[in-house]
Amino acid sequence: MSLRVTRRSLIGKVGGALAGLLSLPAARTVKAAVQKVFVTAGAPKGYQPDKHKWVMGIDANRCIGCGLCVEACKRENRVPEGPYFRTWIERYLIAKPKAGSGEARGATLVDSPHGGMRGFPAPSLAREEIQHSFFVPKLCNLCRHSPCVQVCPVGATFDAPDGAVLIDPKYCIGCGFCIQACPYGCRFLSPLTHTADKCSLCYHRITRRRKPACVEVCPTQARIFGDLLNSSPDEPIQQFYQRNRVQALKPHLGTEPRVLYAGIDKEVR
Amino acid sequence: MPPQAVRLILLTVGIVGSYLVARALLTPSSFGAYGWYRGDALQELASLPMTYAGNDACAECHSETLKTLAAADHKGLACEGCHGPGQAHADNPDVKMGILHYSHCVRCHEASPSRPKWHKQIDPKTHFTGEKCTECHVPHQPKEVP
Repeated sequence: MSLRVTRRSLIGKVGGALAGLLSLPAARTVKAAVQKVFVTAGAPKGYQPDKHKWVMGIDANRCIGCGLCVEACKRENRVPEGPYFRTWIERYLIAKPKAGSGEARGATLVDSPHGGMRGFPAPSLAREEIQHSFFVPKLCNLCRHSPCVQVCPVGATFDAPDGAVLIDPKYCIGCGFCIQACPYGCRFLSPLTHTADKCSLCYHRITRRRKPACVEVCPTQARIFGDLLNSSPDEPIQQFYQRNRVQALKPHLGTEPRVLYAGIDKEVR
Repeated sequence: MPPQAVRLILLTVGIVGSYLVARALLTPSSFGAYGWYRGDALQELASLPMTYAGNDACAECHSETLKTLAAADHKGLACEGCHGPGQAHADNPDVKMGILHYSHCVRCHEASPSRPKWHKQIDPKTHFTGEKCTECHVPHQPKEVP
């Protein structure tokens, strides 16, 4: 094999390759500009993700377990029928300890029929056997250190700059790692799209200056939604932090949830 | 330059070049706009359609009803909590809202040991069973008698 390389041809080839490499960023910019025209149609104008920090607080003292939030979430986000929920309500029944058992607390019963969407049947314990009973609305805990984001092999789930933890349905491959990783059970595999799905804080609503659907319909203001970067001290979310002693779910896991709860008991997981 | 060195250089340029070309084609253009993910996903998720319009949309036409509600015990309630999703009705008033059934009252006001004490509750088995709630209670002003 004879390879005749002259000085001229070598410089030409190397120079051509370099020119090609240098023009790639320009080509990508053009591609991005063209794609943006198609993507932004119908999207809210002027929304800047880095100018907000959305968060939700849950006041369990106020939840009456009506299930309007669960129903609104299903309708707003087109969540499939069946046992799939982006938000749901759990009922906690903590029994009185048996006499002579030496225990401080009795057994804990937790149920959530249809996610609480159609209300709750009469409890299995008689009223006088119950020490505490209350409802706890659950949703994505908006972790600062999200296990779901860490395990995603394709970068399809991510912490958005405005505080929401989102899923890119176009890049999700439906492997289900995130569903196993979430310690709060907030994720499910959609039977329609075969991709992971979860609470998006109603991203299409909050970017249009609306409240999430569950917060909108809640009749008792048990769900408090706000923007930590743009809120005065008299806004509901700041009032919620000022008036209540709050706690996170499963703090020992180090996920540092940003959704904080008031009025829950130690049995709540 | 010895020919084996030239071949090595060309091969290296070829491999690195094809990697860069493949990367440029496979990486989404908005990757890295905000972080280690496709930035356009934010726009796409934000442009999904809404089903619930929100009280502000209701107030555009029904401000009187909202004023009555704001003065009554049911002031914390959203229109769509009872009346159902209203974006379709807000976009086109010819599309009617869903029909309400009085069993909706019981959804919140049925007595339950899990409900907080401050919340008004009744036992539907003993509290005027068979009567419609609206016989005695005005939904927008629950303290008034019709």
